[in-house]
Amino acid sequence: MGLEWRLAWRNVWRNPRRTGLTVAATVFAVLLVILSVALSTGMHDKMVEDSVRVHSGHLTLAAPDYLEERSLEQSLQLDAALARELEATPEVRGWAPRVTSFALVSKQSESQGALVLGVDPEREKSVTTLAERVKRGRFVSGESREIVLGELLAQNLGVEIGDEVLLFGVAYSLESAYELFRVVGTLRLPEPQLERSLAVVSLVDAAEFFVMGDRVSEIALLAANAGRTQQLRAALSATLADRGILAHTWQEVMPELDVFILLDDAAMYLTLAILVVVVAFGILNTVLMAVLERKRELGVVLALGLRPGSVLRVVYLESLMLAAVGLAIGAALAIPIALYFQHNPVEVGGDFAELGKFFGFEMLILTRLETSNLVGSSLTILGVAAIAAFYPALKASRSRPVEALRSL
Amino acid sequence: MTREIRCVASGALAASILLAVSIAAAASARAELLPAPEDVDARTLARRAEGSLRSDRTYLAARMVIESPRLTAPRKVAFESWEDAPAKRSFIRIREPAKDAGTGFLKLHPNLWMYIPRVERTVRVPPSMMLQSWMGSDFTNDDLVRESSELDDYDHAVLGIETEPPGSPGRRAYVVDYIPHEEAPVVWGKIRAWIDIENGMPLAQDFFDEDGERLRELRFGDFRELDGRHVPHRWELTPLDKQGHKTLIELLEIEFDAPMKDDVFTKRNLKRNVKRRR
Repeated sequence: MGLEWRLAWRNVWRNPRRTGLTVAATVFAVLLVILSVALSTGMHDKMVEDSVRVHSGHLTLAAPDYLEERSLEQSLQLDAALARELEATPEVRGWAPRVTSFALVSKQSESQGALVLGVDPEREKSVTTLAERVKRGRFVSGESREIVLGELLAQNLGVEIGDEVLLFGVAYSLESAYELFRVVGTLRLPEPQLERSLAVVSLVDAAEFFVMGDRVSEIALLAANAGRTQQLRAALSATLADRGILAHTWQEVMPELDVFILLDDAAMYLTLAILVVVVAFGILNTVLMAVLERKRELGVVLALGLRPGSVLRVVYLESLMLAAVGLAIGAALAIPIALYFQHNPVEVGGDFAELGKFFGFEMLILTRLETSNLVGSSLTILGVAAIAAFYPALKASRSRPVEALRSL
Repeated sequence: MTREIRCVASGALAASILLAVSIAAAASARAELLPAPEDVDARTLARRAEGSLRSDRTYLAARMVIESPRLTAPRKVAFESWEDAPAKRSFIRIREPAKDAGTGFLKLHPNLWMYIPRVERTVRVPPSMMLQSWMGSDFTNDDLVRESSELDDYDHAVLGIETEPPGSPGRRAYVVDYIPHEEAPVVWGKIRAWIDIENGMPLAQDFFDEDGERLRELRFGDFRELDGRHVPHRWELTPLDKQGHKTLIELLEIEFDAPMKDDVFTKRNLKRNVKRRR
C-alpha cells in the first residue's frame, strides 16, 4: 500500500510544470466555487433578513387557511396564555399582533382600496422596521384615530399630514364600518404595490373598527436565529395546533422572494458546474498524458508482477492527489478571504446604494462561510476528479506488458 | 426532492381519479337529461330568461338575509333600488338596519358612488374594491355595477332537458350553458342556467371560473305572476368557496317599466336622505 502511494506521489511531480498548471487551474476553480457560494449565501441571507423586517417577520402565526383567504374569519384569540408562551420561548426574538383587512380610504370624493394594518406600535418595533420607514410626519403613536399611509397611497389620494381621511369597510360582524382618521405620517416601502395600498393604524383602533374583540388576524414573529426558522416553526405549530394556529414561514408569505433565491442559486450552480467540468478535463488531460508517456514503464512493472489492480490504484491516486493539492491551496486562499468579508462587509456607495435603500436592502458585499457548503464543494471537486481519472486509470491497468515493452 | 416528486405524482394521481369521477358524474348527469327539441333556440331562451327579471326601468324593494358562520343571528338589510337600464345607471338606498339606513349607492356608468349619511360623505368606490363584499353580503360591488349582459356577452348552447332542476323539483327545465365571448367584461368562465320549459323563467344558475370550478350557485324560488311574467321573489346565493355563507334576497315589491325622474340618478339625490318612496 505504501508503495502505491509513493509511486503515485512521485508520478505527480514527474513533470512539475504540467502538474503546476493543472494545480493552478484547480486552485482557481476552488477559489471561485468557495467564494461564489459564500457570497451568495451571505447576500441571500441579508436579503431575507431585510425583507422579513419590512413587513412579514420570519414566521406568521395565523389560522391554517389564512394565507389563501386573508379574511377576518381566519382570526385567532390572543389571550394572556398565548402571550406568555411566546414570551417564554427563547427562540422568539420578537412578536407583534396585527389586525388586518381591506377597506376603502377616501379623502373627499377621491378614494383608494387599502390594506389596513392595525399594529401595536411598541411590539411592532420588535419585529419589523415599519416605524423607521417614515417618509413624512411620524408613525402611529398609540393614540386613537391616527393613520399612517403608504407614500404612494397618500399621493394618489392627494393627502397631506394633518388631513382627515374616511375609512370604510366591512366589519367581522358583516356590518358596515366607517371611521374618520387623522393622517400623521407616510411610509416609504420597498414594494411599490405595498406602498400604494398600506394604511397603518393602531391595533386598538383596527380591532374596534373591524369589531374584532380580542381576536387578531396574525402574529408576526422574528426568530432569534434565522437559520433555525424551520425548527421553530415545527415547534410552535406543534404546541399551538390545538388552538387552531399554524406557523407560516416567510417562504409561504413571500413566495416570490423564495423563488428569486432559488433561481439565483440555480444560475450560480450552473456556472460553477461548467467550471468544475473544465477543471475535470484538465485533470483528465494531465493524467492521461502521464499514462501514455509511461507506457513502457507500466509494461515493465506489470511484467515484474505488479497486479493490474495496483496500477489502477496508482493512477487513481495520482489524479486524486492532483485535485487534493489544488483543493488544499484553493481552500487555504479562499477561506480567509470569505471570513474577512463575513466580518468586514463592504458598503457599496453611489446610485447602487440608493437603489438598494429603495428596495429596503442595505447594499453590502458580504459573505457567509458555511461548513456544509465547504464540505460539499470539496467533495464535489474530489468526486469529479475521481470520475475524470477513471479512463486513464483503466487504460493503464489494461496495458499488456509484451506490447508495451515492444512499443518504445 | 423525492418528496416533491412523490407529491406531484400523488397530485397527478388524485387529479386523474378526480377527472375520472367527474367524467363519470358528468356522464350520469347527462344521462338524466332528455334531448331538447331541435327547434329550441338557446339564444331565444336566454333572451326570455333575462327579460323576465328586467325591464328598461325597474323599481324594487327587497330584504337581504345574510348567513355566515361569524354570526349568531343572520344580518338583515332592507333596500330599495331604481334601475334605468338603457342609460346604464341605477340608484340604491339602504333602509335597514338602522345603523346603515340612508346609505346610498349611485351607479353612473362606469363609476359607482357611495354616500354615507353618518359622516355625510360621498365616495367613489375604486376599481380595487369592486370584488369586495357589498353590505356584508356574498354579492360584490361588482355585481352591482356589472355592465355585461347575459344575452349579448355570451354564446348559448342548449344541453338538454332536466326533469329535476336544482332547487325546483317537479319543474322541467332546459339546461343552457352560457360561454362568455373572448373580450366580454365578464368574471365567469361559464354560467349554467336552468330555464323553465313552461314559462321561460330562470330557475337556477351555477357560476364557474375559467378552470371550470363551480364558484357559486344562485337559486330562484317563490314565483309570483306579475305583468304576465312569473317573477321569482326569492333569490338565494351560495358561494361555494366559503363554507356556511349564504345570502338570500326576498323581493318585497317589484315594478317593471316604472316611471322614474331623471333627478333620481344624481349625486344630489344621494345626499337627500329621502324617506321610503311608498
